[in-house]
Amino acid sequence: MKAKQHISVEDTHLDLIPMGRIDMTAVSVIAANLQVILGLNTQILPVQPEPEYAFLARRGQYDGGKILHALAAISDGFPFRLAVVSVDIFTPILTFVFGESQLGGKAAVISLFRAKSKNREQSYNRAAKIAIHEIGHLLGIVHCRTPDCLMGFSNNLEKLDSLPLRFCQSCEFEARRRLRHLFDKPGLP
Amino acid sequence: MKSSTHIMVVDDEETICEALMAWFVKDGYKVGTALSGEEALKYLQENNIDIFLVDVKMPGMNGIELLSRIKEKQPEAAVIMMTAHGSIQTAVEAMKLGASDYLCKPFDPDALSLLMERVMMQKTLQKENIALKERLLEQQEEAADVFIVHSEPMRKIFSTVDEVAPSSAPIFITGETGVGKDIVARAIHLRSQRSYGPFVAVNCGALSESLLESELFGHEKGAFTGAMKTRRGRLEMADNGTLFLDEIGEISTKMQVVLLRVLEEKRFLRLGGSRPVSSDFRLITATHRDLPPLIKEKQFREDFYYRINVITIHIPPLRERQDDVPVLADHFLKRYVEETGKHLEGFTQKALEYLISYPWPGNVRELRNVIERAVVIARGRIIGTEELKFLDPEKLPCETSSVTLEELEMIHIKSILASCDGNISHAAKKLGVNRSTLSRKMKQYRLTARN
Repeated sequence: MKAKQHISVEDTHLDLIPMGRIDMTAVSVIAANLQVILGLNTQILPVQPEPEYAFLARRGQYDGGKILHALAAISDGFPFRLAVVSVDIFTPILTFVFGESQLGGKAAVISLFRAKSKNREQSYNRAAKIAIHEIGHLLGIVHCRTPDCLMGFSNNLEKLDSLPLRFCQSCEFEARRRLRHLFDKPGLP
Repeated sequence: MKSSTHIMVVDDEETICEALMAWFVKDGYKVGTALSGEEALKYLQENNIDIFLVDVKMPGMNGIELLSRIKEKQPEAAVIMMTAHGSIQTAVEAMKLGASDYLCKPFDPDALSLLMERVMMQKTLQKENIALKERLLEQQEEAADVFIVHSEPMRKIFSTVDEVAPSSAPIFITGETGVGKDIVARAIHLRSQRSYGPFVAVNCGALSESLLESELFGHEKGAFTGAMKTRRGRLEMADNGTLFLDEIGEISTKMQVVLLRVLEEKRFLRLGGSRPVSSDFRLITATHRDLPPLIKEKQFREDFYYRINVITIHIPPLRERQDDVPVLADHFLKRYVEETGKHLEGFTQKALEYLISYPWPGNVRELRNVIERAVVIARGRIIGTEELKFLDPEKLPCETSSVTLEELEMIHIKSILASCDGNISHAAKKLGVNRSTLSRKMKQYRLTARN
């Protein structure tokens, strides 16, 4: 996919919203990968406060669903919004999640908490993969069973690390199709 | 395939239902939710659910009660119990009632993922098993030529088959060569309680005594020259199934003695073996020979005869049940049309009359071969007597029974000319007239030597 040469506000497709105390290098890496891999013009917004409204004391974690709800409720902004947090997030039924998103919707949240590694490059790599996976869901793509597709479900870091930073042919085709339909830009890869 | 798998989440907490729904929808499943057991059962009335995730603790109908109600209505559905407060007692109770698994909330993503994979695999195997069993039955029915039943004698035989099939009593089938004794034997096997077991057939008339012995009993490695490895015999292969010994009238009295002992003890030794082998099979035998006279002549043992002849089914020859001929002919026509891809629609009335009146010394087998040949050589869409000419030509009915004398003469001259390849002299000789008479007739009917 070719990246656009010039980013203007009018061309932005996704708001990247860092929240709380966060490694901004990781946020930049995420933005760059969304740009390169998916062709999504990404705007990094100023850092927002930690989403305390989503905190559940008895679990010591943040409810991903509540964060999504809040993101989706933002009236202005661009078609997609991705929040990046460094706290541990959960969905009610699971012990933890790497990320959470609305299938075919506009809001997604990813956590750097469980993606941390002593190797920084690996941490950033994991963050980028989680982000692209969740954006795949925003584009309406479900989990893929093709080996080596980033839309495959990862329930642990080992699996996440084994996945490449790309979709399989079918998911790639689907992603492009959805993006063309959403943004209707002839130049969009 | 996931997209066709229907999951139902039943939990009184809406957030749990929503979260699980979002999770499974992303995994490609079709998902329904219910906030109570009652709502779930209502949904089940109108939908086929493959997998349930059911919360144990719910107001009103609890999860355990819902589990047993689900199992009543849809026993093949997989039910996974969920609880926030797991207890071993509840888990055991749930598993006893047929739950597939038991999970404590919140789930480890790994555990949920592995569990769903396992349950999906079980469902797939279950569906495959049912489909394979159905296909096996279909293939067996096809292979058995779907036991054409039309004439009164065959209806009686079919009725007897239905009565005797479920028992284990030995059955003795008699009838001329080609009447379908093997088909009746298969039909009995398919309708018996051993239908999922093997059907092992041996043609006793096709093998020499020594070969038959080896075929039936098997042999150990080194039992004789050439026995490079141990081989199971047909008696052993028929264990839990049916053994069909065709042409039983051909076996020697020595073999009859050996078989009699096997039938009584249900045990035998392989050739060269010392360890007895057991085999539990249902015996069906068949012969085209009339055995009672052979018993009188000491060519067949009376004790063996009474051992195999507990129930007798006699299949009359095809000429004694002419009503079956058109039905069988049509059945074989359809089969060979499908095999050859030819567009054939049926038979002419004359052809059918011929088929019905033909004596069929080879019975159904001969009829099948005739139809196959007719399909292969047919040029039009209908099989007429032309395609059946290779049968006894003297039995060919006159196609001109409704034509004038003149027309009859013309057709006959035409036919003889064709058989003489247009040679007028030869044709005249065959017709018993001189050449000039034939030429005059040809001019009269506007026939040429090649027409």
